[in-house]
Amino acid sequence: MLTISNLSASYSGIQALRGVSLDVAQGEMVALIGPNGAGKSTLLNCVSGIVAPKAGSIRLESRDITGQKPWLVSRSGLLQVPEGRQVLPEMTVLENLRLGLTALGTRPATYPLARVHELFPVLAARSAQLAGSLSGGEQQMLAIGRALMGAPRLLLLDEPSLGLAPVLVQQVFAALQRLNRDGMTILLVEQNARQALEVTSRAYVLEQGQVMFGGRSADLAQDPNVIALYLGQEQKRETFGAKPVNGEP
Amino acid sequence: MIKFLAAYRPLIDLFLLQSGYALSQYIVLRAGVFSIASAGLAAIGAYVAALLTMRLGLSPILSIPIGAVAGLASALLISWPLARLRGVYQAIATLAFVQIVLSLNLYAEAVTGGAMGLNGIPSLVGTWTLLPVLIGVGYVVTAVNANKLGRAFEAMRQDEAVAASLGVSVTLNQSIAFGLSGAIAGLYGGLEAFHSYALEPNQFGFAFVVATLSYVVFGGRRSVLGPIIGTAVLVALPELARPLAENRTLAYGVLLMLVINFMPRGIVDSLLEYVHRRRMARP
Repeated sequence: MLTISNLSASYSGIQALRGVSLDVAQGEMVALIGPNGAGKSTLLNCVSGIVAPKAGSIRLESRDITGQKPWLVSRSGLLQVPEGRQVLPEMTVLENLRLGLTALGTRPATYPLARVHELFPVLAARSAQLAGSLSGGEQQMLAIGRALMGAPRLLLLDEPSLGLAPVLVQQVFAALQRLNRDGMTILLVEQNARQALEVTSRAYVLEQGQVMFGGRSADLAQDPNVIALYLGQEQKRETFGAKPVNGEP
Repeated sequence: MIKFLAAYRPLIDLFLLQSGYALSQYIVLRAGVFSIASAGLAAIGAYVAALLTMRLGLSPILSIPIGAVAGLASALLISWPLARLRGVYQAIATLAFVQIVLSLNLYAEAVTGGAMGLNGIPSLVGTWTLLPVLIGVGYVVTAVNANKLGRAFEAMRQDEAVAASLGVSVTLNQSIAFGLSGAIAGLYGGLEAFHSYALEPNQFGFAFVVATLSYVVFGGRRSVLGPIIGTAVLVALPELARPLAENRTLAYGVLLMLVINFMPRGIVDSLLEYVHRRRMARP
């Protein structure tokens, strides 16, 4: 479905991507994890056409979308749910959803309003409310729902867990899993590595602009290197907390 | 009633004309384009319409629409370089456009009459032409707002990057907004030419820019009623404030300051939002 090969790009003078290759097959849910500054955002900006890559190519099915304008990329069916939710606060929930129809162009709808409402009932209940008055979790659902209205062939999510309470993160991830079971192809970009590996079938680890690991999510979650680098933080914190305070009165 | 209307007819006509300019300014602001080119585009429409009738004997029924088309074409032409600019840079570039049109009208004396302007334009447009035209233009703008194009404009105004990520072509939609604004400005330029016997270049200068901007800021930038109510209040104000004699402009300034400070969305949008909140708060 999505094939990125040998992608290199610079961002404000720094080489942010050095020959990244990854692919997402039809019906798959894949995670891309990595620390801050690993190049995740630059990769996404290349895919959605905001940053022009220096080398390499991005293909959506048989179509080459390298360096295409953002609005054409979304019209071809690659829809991005941007980081920080980015709903349009002065429009109602329904108006935000309808705006998602723009990305359809001439393609037929696959997620009409009724189906989006079924997936996120809260969006039906808050239909006439201004999007800016929704809670963070509801805004994230709205941003996903809005992308679905544009009949995505591939849904790309940028840090959907950012700034959400753990219970809401679970809800959002559960909705993504349900979408995936219904056949949606999803690429999930996350800093929350543990959760991302739990819900996806395959994952890539990006570091310093290169793919360091790639494989089945379950294997990555067991890999000692990955644990040490990306999943070990919580354990470290536990040891630190358990350390007795010695010597001081 | 008839007597009242007759006495205030010039004021009503002024309101009907200025409302059209306010709508031309409104439509670009709504799409997130900070253009103040309406003054220059109105001048183009006015001079094209007046000259076609005075020099070539064309009927105003033809020359006014041709003026509107001239406004549309000029707007599309300048939208191309302006697409690369944003915000205050767009404002400065369009102000330069207004100055260029003004200077051309001053220097091309042989055609435009220079600083003396054009005199003796047949006065054929009155209240009963202006009223249906305003209703028609208001209808078109309302229809634009209610359909896909209006949603795209609104999205661009709020967040250009998000709009693009949802398949909205920002360049194309900005050009459409510019074109609509130019057509409306050109149309009203032509109507004004045939309403007031005479045209002169400075009529479409900086004062015009400030007036149309304040109508929209005062009334509101979202609802179509905003610029129209804003124009009504600001056109009527000097009359209502007549007892203040030479301090009349003070009332204008004070009212504008109050609205900008306490109702930054303009009177109509602030009221609509208040009503919406009340309705939502009700169980």
